[in-house]
Amino acid sequence: MLRRVAAAASIALAALCGGQAHADEILVGAHMPLTGSLARSGQAFDEGMRVAIQMFNARPETKHKIRLQVIDDESTPAKAVSAVEKLVSDGAVAVIGGYGSNIIGPASDASNRLNTTYVTAGAVSDELTARGLKTFFRINNNAGYQRGMGTLLETLKPASVSILASTKEAPALLAKGLQKDLAGKGIKVTLHEFDPAITDFKPIINKVKLQDKSEILVMSAYENDYVGIIRAAKVLKPPVKLIVGAWSLATPKMYTEFPDLMNNIVGTSFLPFPVEMKDEEGKRFAEAYKKTYNKEVEYLSTLSFVETTILAEAIARAAEAGTLKSRGLPDAMRKTERETLLGPVQFDATGDNPRFTVAMGQHQGGRIVLVSPESAATGKIVYPGLPW
Amino acid sequence: MASLDSTPAAAPLEGAPPRATARGRMPGNAALVAGLLVLAALPLVLGASNYMLGLLISALILAGIALAWALLGNLGGMVSFGHAAFFGVGGYTSALLAAKLDLPVLLTVPLGGLVAVVASLAMLPALRLSGPYFALAILAYAQIFRILATEASWLTGGAAGFQRYPGLPTVFGLDLASRTGSYLLLVAVVALCALAYVAVWRSHVGLALRAIAESEDATRVVGVNSVLLKSMMLLLSAFITGVFGALNAHIIGFLEPDYAFSGIWSVMPIIAAIFGGYRTVVGPIGGAVVIYLFDQVVAKGLIAVGHQIILGFVLVVMVLAAPNGLVGLLKAKGGRHA
Amino acid sequence: MIDLVLQALFSGILVGSVYALVALGLALSFGAMRIINLAHGELVLLAAYCAYLVESRTGLDPYAAIPLALAVVAVVAAALFLMIDRIREHRELNSLILTFGIGIILTNAILLIFASDVRTTSSPRLQDATSIGPVYAMNGELVAFALSLVLMVALWWWLKKSWYGRAVRAVSSNRAAATLMGISPVRTELAAFLVAGALASFAGVALYAMSVVQPALGHALTVKAFIVTVLAGVGSIPGVFLAAILLGVTEALTVTLASSALQELVGMVLFLLVLFLLPNGLFGARARRG
Repeated sequence: MLRRVAAAASIALAALCGGQAHADEILVGAHMPLTGSLARSGQAFDEGMRVAIQMFNARPETKHKIRLQVIDDESTPAKAVSAVEKLVSDGAVAVIGGYGSNIIGPASDASNRLNTTYVTAGAVSDELTARGLKTFFRINNNAGYQRGMGTLLETLKPASVSILASTKEAPALLAKGLQKDLAGKGIKVTLHEFDPAITDFKPIINKVKLQDKSEILVMSAYENDYVGIIRAAKVLKPPVKLIVGAWSLATPKMYTEFPDLMNNIVGTSFLPFPVEMKDEEGKRFAEAYKKTYNKEVEYLSTLSFVETTILAEAIARAAEAGTLKSRGLPDAMRKTERETLLGPVQFDATGDNPRFTVAMGQHQGGRIVLVSPESAATGKIVYPGLPW
Repeated sequence: MASLDSTPAAAPLEGAPPRATARGRMPGNAALVAGLLVLAALPLVLGASNYMLGLLISALILAGIALAWALLGNLGGMVSFGHAAFFGVGGYTSALLAAKLDLPVLLTVPLGGLVAVVASLAMLPALRLSGPYFALAILAYAQIFRILATEASWLTGGAAGFQRYPGLPTVFGLDLASRTGSYLLLVAVVALCALAYVAVWRSHVGLALRAIAESEDATRVVGVNSVLLKSMMLLLSAFITGVFGALNAHIIGFLEPDYAFSGIWSVMPIIAAIFGGYRTVVGPIGGAVVIYLFDQVVAKGLIAVGHQIILGFVLVVMVLAAPNGLVGLLKAKGGRHA
Repeated sequence: MIDLVLQALFSGILVGSVYALVALGLALSFGAMRIINLAHGELVLLAAYCAYLVESRTGLDPYAAIPLALAVVAVVAAALFLMIDRIREHRELNSLILTFGIGIILTNAILLIFASDVRTTSSPRLQDATSIGPVYAMNGELVAFALSLVLMVALWWWLKKSWYGRAVRAVSSNRAAATLMGISPVRTELAAFLVAGALASFAGVALYAMSVVQPALGHALTVKAFIVTVLAGVGSIPGVFLAAILLGVTEALTVTLASSALQELVGMVLFLLVLFLLPNGLFGARARRG
């Protein structure tokens, strides 16, 4: 609570003091949904960004320190557009985008009009890259999530899969894509879309249990839905062998908060937990994160950490080459090619990261073990494996 | 069986406020329009940044809905908690017509308003309901429309949203899609709607509606069809809201059901109209501009997360201390000097 | 198929009993004062967060939070009542907007204090499943059902038998006459409001013990409660309970027989149908909708 108030106060103070960057500082703007329906995601993003900037500024080779200015877009497009305009007029060289394609779309349009580089990790719709904006970049996309989950499901070779999907944008998109992929592989797929307002999932789970009789239950939804679905499944015990979910599920936080529900659940993940020595950057990120926020890294924080780090490095390159002021940042971004916590990142002409693919992690007694794809795996999958 | 009896509900807006100024007299057309336009020209004369113009554009969209809401509340005697329904229908209609039938945007925007009117026909049965029942019945409509837009994915793109439809065009060399152009267009449309409001107010219909608000029973005796008149107010309110929904859709360039039918479009206009004074024409417009700018520029700076709490306090304080809104307060002050 | 429908009915009844718990308080303040308290869902949510606070800080059962929830909600409800009581003109409309504003304040206060994370009980006892024949439930749901039934009877008894309850009915049917009889309308309405707050406290704790809460939930709870109140019709406490169960069952059957995406739609359509076709609601005593 105190920390939150202090953070809010410091943000307010920063806002009041105006956005004029210090002489040797470079200003990077960000708009995040800190309130509204996506507030949960926005706060996790916010934390990852701050840790990334903190780590970047602490590097010995950093010449130009970066200062971050974050504006709450309240999960509404008009406010996100206003935020972009404000950030650019305050001198931001680039804008980090919030969450949700309906917000990223108009905001990145505005940024493009103002010739300002725009980076996001929170919008997966293909419509966004179809626009072919020169200043738009994103590190993740629906195809990558689809591939990550699809790869795991194919190796398990279930005869049938039931997908429970929220009718919200990103989950609906992922579910439809998965349905098509899996059906193409000869797996029987039943899709159950549900209204986000639903709280009792027992009637749906009962359909999975008595009608679908699927081997694997897939959830394409958000945290509150996951908790409701797994709880309902724990009560009704459908004869599935595994429960697989999408983002924000295979995280230490979920295990700490819902230990009775999470064991053996599989979700998209980038890092095993405890973070293993294999990845030096990941280890330092997890340490810095723990030190600042006194909790384990979250899924979305990892995403925003990577996008912010990549942006910061591109800014450093452009500043070094003296092209930052002459709009050289998009070119510097396009030269990005590096291994990250999310795997390889490289941008194509539309600003998408075609190499994006997620790994799948499984909660195993408080640890998170990467179980798919084979190249990233840190352990064996428990299959069949259920929380009960 | 326990029973909780009470007398039949009174019409929510029954009874005139004590002073005639708040209800009986409207400022002259010319003065109203001139005042509005001078104020509207200020940002351009002072060279406001795109950011400032962007905030004003959002504020004017709210102002349009707030005006439509207040029209229904003041003349129709109805409080709506679901204007998002009209807003969303207007937005989707205009975007779809422009994208799929290649109609010019300046035509699809009024068509968006018309289809919102058609949608409002489904709400006519609700007019028989009093106060809170009507308010929440309309809320239910907004929810139903949101779900329908999500389910009709073959048409609307469903939850994934709808984008890549034309923006506002360039007219007589003025690019309406630019910040300045959008701002001028919105000022013009808000002014037109305000004029329409005043015209209705002065017409026989307005007179009859004001009489109904005084005493529904008495007017029924002299043969005024109150349901018909109230229906007309609902349709007009829906039209205005639909037009602003359509304008917003082309300015933002992305629609999804959760956004187009968001509760924000129902809630913010209420706050704006109550704050400004919903019994006047300038109240909702001024209220929307003041409250939106205050929220975005001042409140957001004070409390980064959860600054809407200040809007809540504003609402509470206005209802308790100044039920006639900001305009009412100013008039009370002016009255003392005069 | 039979098993599916049976489970849907059972789940619907359990969920409905919680809707009833949330709606009873709203129906009481509406019946007694002709005021829709649009902050009612937020009062419920406030109690739910009290339960979270107690459970996460002390490790006690969430139901141990009831005294705290009662105290916190009573203070807020009393403050709310005093504000409503200050409204002089257009009480019905202005109270709607006033309570709506209070709802915004409470939602954002909860957001500021507790952040936007999803919260629910971690008690294994409440989360474990019980099977009754072919149907299953979480223990937390069964407790909520029992609580709802008990509170419904208690409220009915209070209105019917106690002095204050009869005073509430007298004031709501004829304020002037009640005053002549020596009943203070303000004190009586305050009593009704506090009882509604107490019901909200129980509802919030029960909700936390069986479902998932987050700051944005309050408004949705108010709307559900209002739908139940309309379905029931004013004036019948058991009617509220039955209407809530009807709503819960309808929703569950929609999920089972049609699509889960349509659940909310069906609830809203049912609401409008009853509103238009049955002016007294399903169980209301007489026409009141003017």
